[in-house]
Amino acid sequence: MSTELGLAVRRRSATPASSTNIRTDTPQVSKIVDIDLCIGCKACEVACKEWNDLPVDDTSNFGSYQSHEDLTATTWDLMRFNEVELANNDIAWLIRKDSCLHCEDPGCLAACPAPGAIVQYQNGIVDFDQTKCIGCQYCIAGCPFDIPRFDPASKKVYKCTLCVDRVTSGLEPACVKACPTGSIKYGSTEDMVAYGTSKVAKLQARGFENAMLYNPAGVGGIHMMYVVPRGDMLAEYGLPSDPNVKKNVSFIGLLRNTRRLGAAATWAGILGLAVFWLRYGRHAPPPEDAGSEEGVLVGEHGGDGHVVEGLGGNAPANGNGHPSERQPAEEQPIVTSDGKELT
Amino acid sequence: MTLTEPRVTVVRTSKEVVRYSLFERIVHWVVGVTFVYLLLSGMALAYPRMAWLANGLGGGQTMRAAHPWVGVVFTAGLLVMVFMWAGAMRFDKGDREWVRRLKQYRHTGHTGLDTGRYNAGQKGYYWVVLAFGAVLLITGIPLWFPWMAGAGVQQAARIIHNLAYLVMLAGFMIHVYMSTVMFPGTMSGMTSGKVSRRWASWHHPRWLREKDGE
Repeated sequence: MSTELGLAVRRRSATPASSTNIRTDTPQVSKIVDIDLCIGCKACEVACKEWNDLPVDDTSNFGSYQSHEDLTATTWDLMRFNEVELANNDIAWLIRKDSCLHCEDPGCLAACPAPGAIVQYQNGIVDFDQTKCIGCQYCIAGCPFDIPRFDPASKKVYKCTLCVDRVTSGLEPACVKACPTGSIKYGSTEDMVAYGTSKVAKLQARGFENAMLYNPAGVGGIHMMYVVPRGDMLAEYGLPSDPNVKKNVSFIGLLRNTRRLGAAATWAGILGLAVFWLRYGRHAPPPEDAGSEEGVLVGEHGGDGHVVEGLGGNAPANGNGHPSERQPAEEQPIVTSDGKELT
Repeated sequence: MTLTEPRVTVVRTSKEVVRYSLFERIVHWVVGVTFVYLLLSGMALAYPRMAWLANGLGGGQTMRAAHPWVGVVFTAGLLVMVFMWAGAMRFDKGDREWVRRLKQYRHTGHTGLDTGRYNAGQKGYYWVVLAFGAVLLITGIPLWFPWMAGAGVQQAARIIHNLAYLVMLAGFMIHVYMSTVMFPGTMSGMTSGKVSRRWASWHHPRWLREKDGE
């Protein structure tokens, strides 16, 4: 919500070389959501609303145990629900806490053209500063997880802050605090990865052979990981199997290459025109007195090959300041219509 | 290859001839000024390193809010240009020869052809602007109202919008260079609306004859 928290900044949108970190060993913080322990109670949703003073979004029954159909600018945390039929005629309820995953390489930040509107603190939290947001919504296109939401009233984009204001004061995030089963955990990234790895091993021992720690490398890893018991059902959970900001074919990759192409082409164009001007100069119409009686005329070079100086009468302003315009074209013999070759 | 010298009659008079009416000039400059705003604000939006440009365009928020509306005015201007100039911009047989003589044109600024109101290069630029103006309009709509478009549409629109912008930028740079630095006497056509008969007989002899025949 704000960058004025005294936290070291690793990256700031639209600001090259923006790292302010001179500290050593700043701990990397992360959440981990152990889907195995989640009972779908939505206490985290309520806690999120409460801590962040977010207004209620009306709910409606759309045939799901989900409270709202989607994230909104004022609903930053949503328990997504999906019922799937399994091969053995059983069913599974897939419940996933959906909120910002705080990528190590945030696509939103890479896409953002507003200086400082998106920051990544040294501890890994990705935060929006709405005072600097220009409302272009590039971050929405840049996010591989479809998280940021635009508020048409304030014309700004909002998302989970990982309770950076609580974290900064040594508190755990509101959703973590409210979770009754300990499904959402918070701590150093190291500890969270260790928890996830051991939990995945336990799940696999229990028969969930596809259990996995969701921490995709395509975005450099995330600061809200998942323990996914049914790792073969990422799509059903609503998780992309390969979220990516590094590949050239990913949106951020294309955007990056488009920017490089654009910068190179723009400079090439400017320099190209400058060289073109030096080489070919200006081309004024021939002076009036250079026209021969037959009306045959040979441009700057004059009918008899001599360089014509000066212009009379109300001739339009022309470039008699540039030397190259009086030079005959090199290498190309200029032939008049009566076959006379000029040198 | 030898370059054939142009055969034109240079009219020995310094009188001027009207090239663009007041209406045409107004439309041109509406399109031109809005284009420069779109170009600079687009640059600030597409290139984070150019974000400082926003400061000169009313600040980031204002610029982002203005960009699509300026685009609407720009598009409206182009639409008028369709009705105003499309007829004169139709390609004809002589245009193929003009393209063949590009090398000569580059060296001497002249092809020696009996060019009408517009040469093939000008016609080409006109159609490029219209075509890519349409591309920018179509891809601009999902960027104006991103919450109505799906993620894939939005992403594709942003990339295409950025690439089409580059084509417009290239055309614009060449257009400005040719009408100011390269060919003196051209600019007055878009300011006072008049060009010298000498300029006209050199660049657009057939147009001048047609004009005189009026």
